[in-house]
Amino acid sequence: MNPPGGVVGKWLAATGPEADVVLSTRVRLARNLADVPFTHRAKPRDHERTIEVVRWALADTGYMENGKFLDNEHLAEPQGQYLIERHLASPDFVASKATRGLYISDDETTSLMVNEEDHLRFQVMASGLDFPEAFTAAAALDEKLEGQLQYAFSPEFGFLTACPTNLGTGMRASVLVHLPALVITREIEKVLRGAIHIGLAVRGLYGEGSETKGNFFQISNQKTVGQTEWEIIETIADISRQVITYERKAREYLMKKLRVEVEDKVFRSLGLLRGARVLSSDEAINLIASLRLGVALGIVNEINLEQVTRLLILVRPANLQVMLGESLTAAERDERRATFVRETLVHP
Amino acid sequence: MKVCDLCGKGEATMKVSQLDKEGKVTEIAVCAECARQRGFAEVEKLKANAAEILTELKTRIDEADSRLVCRSCGLSYAEFKRLGRLGCSDCYVSFHDELLPLIRRIHDAVQHVGRSASGGRKQAQMKMNVQRLREALSGAIQDEDYEKAAALRDQLRRTEEE
Repeated sequence: MNPPGGVVGKWLAATGPEADVVLSTRVRLARNLADVPFTHRAKPRDHERTIEVVRWALADTGYMENGKFLDNEHLAEPQGQYLIERHLASPDFVASKATRGLYISDDETTSLMVNEEDHLRFQVMASGLDFPEAFTAAAALDEKLEGQLQYAFSPEFGFLTACPTNLGTGMRASVLVHLPALVITREIEKVLRGAIHIGLAVRGLYGEGSETKGNFFQISNQKTVGQTEWEIIETIADISRQVITYERKAREYLMKKLRVEVEDKVFRSLGLLRGARVLSSDEAINLIASLRLGVALGIVNEINLEQVTRLLILVRPANLQVMLGESLTAAERDERRATFVRETLVHP
Repeated sequence: MKVCDLCGKGEATMKVSQLDKEGKVTEIAVCAECARQRGFAEVEKLKANAAEILTELKTRIDEADSRLVCRSCGLSYAEFKRLGRLGCSDCYVSFHDELLPLIRRIHDAVQHVGRSASGGRKQAQMKMNVQRLREALSGAIQDEDYEKAAALRDQLRRTEEE
């Protein structure tokens, strides 16, 4: 079944390991050029030169053959919001007044920001829990670029970054997980506290502060000095595997003791998604998240994880407008969103 | 009336903490005259002074931090504390000692053990040189200094051929 409109990146394919709980894995590396002041201190001419040099390096290493480079003008709103929703650029980057550039691979697994807080911030995303894939690709890009550029590095402090919080490996490794069962059984605090206890950071993906929508969480490392890249990754991977086990156990429990209630919630969500004429972004995310649980548990069979994960991106405000090719007010978006969702989830 | 512990005569009007030779803190009651002679401040005044002393200390630290400046980009350590970001790679040298405890606090470690940066020097240098020459060439053309532009163009060609 081919849903109308909307192509999304390969990493959203939901074909990766443990996809029932883990949406994606990301490895991000921060690097700076040796003889240029850090972005916030550099002059516009430095910014431009950095962009040219990095762009050149990407071309010489073959990355431009399967990707494109976006200039400053193409990074303003609403394009910026679109990129943020797809996890290809950070809000700071989009909001920045510095001259910047962005490389995105065609399959959207790889993106590289030039002149964010550091001269280079690049990342690779993989589907499911898959650090080997994400890290080897990020390391390969790092090595290839390093053959063309001169990084700021010291044997004592490692890769030098504008903010000491990113020093050393310059690596931020993270996983995006879906934990609806742990939230329902109220074990989520305990589980996440375990991650925080060993120095990892946990934050809800959608929504501000304590208001997390859809029960999606991001777990990432906070320390970047004193451990090798692989040690850091192993720590997150271990915790992720524990969290996966807990979530699956909680899901089993729900299916055993509260099966009818779970099915009710899932099918009510599906009903609303198939019937609503107006859907806000927040409501859509909550409903789609419930649907995702239903699909992962095998309660809903006519829809697969990939379709659900695609929907999560395509209902976001900027993505919706880009997909429809129109600029819309909030009210118009809510209506068109509902239409798009209905058309995507038609009964087979 | 409580009698002064020091002179045994005057009325004790204030308490003063003293550190004796063994490092023990004791409190004695003294009269105004003895206090004045020995330069003891009233405990109350001392508390107010403590606040002033801390402010004074902070100002001195900030001043010292403002004077500590990166040899390359000119960022002061005080500015770094305000912005949370360093100015360039050399800041890590200029502020090395000040940064160590901060790095330890953030990462529980101060020695990098991960991957290292290795080569790319020659390529990188070449790219930077070419970029600079291109900029100079474009500047010369804009200034209509065609002699200079021609010289730069030749230099550029030679560099790119390396």
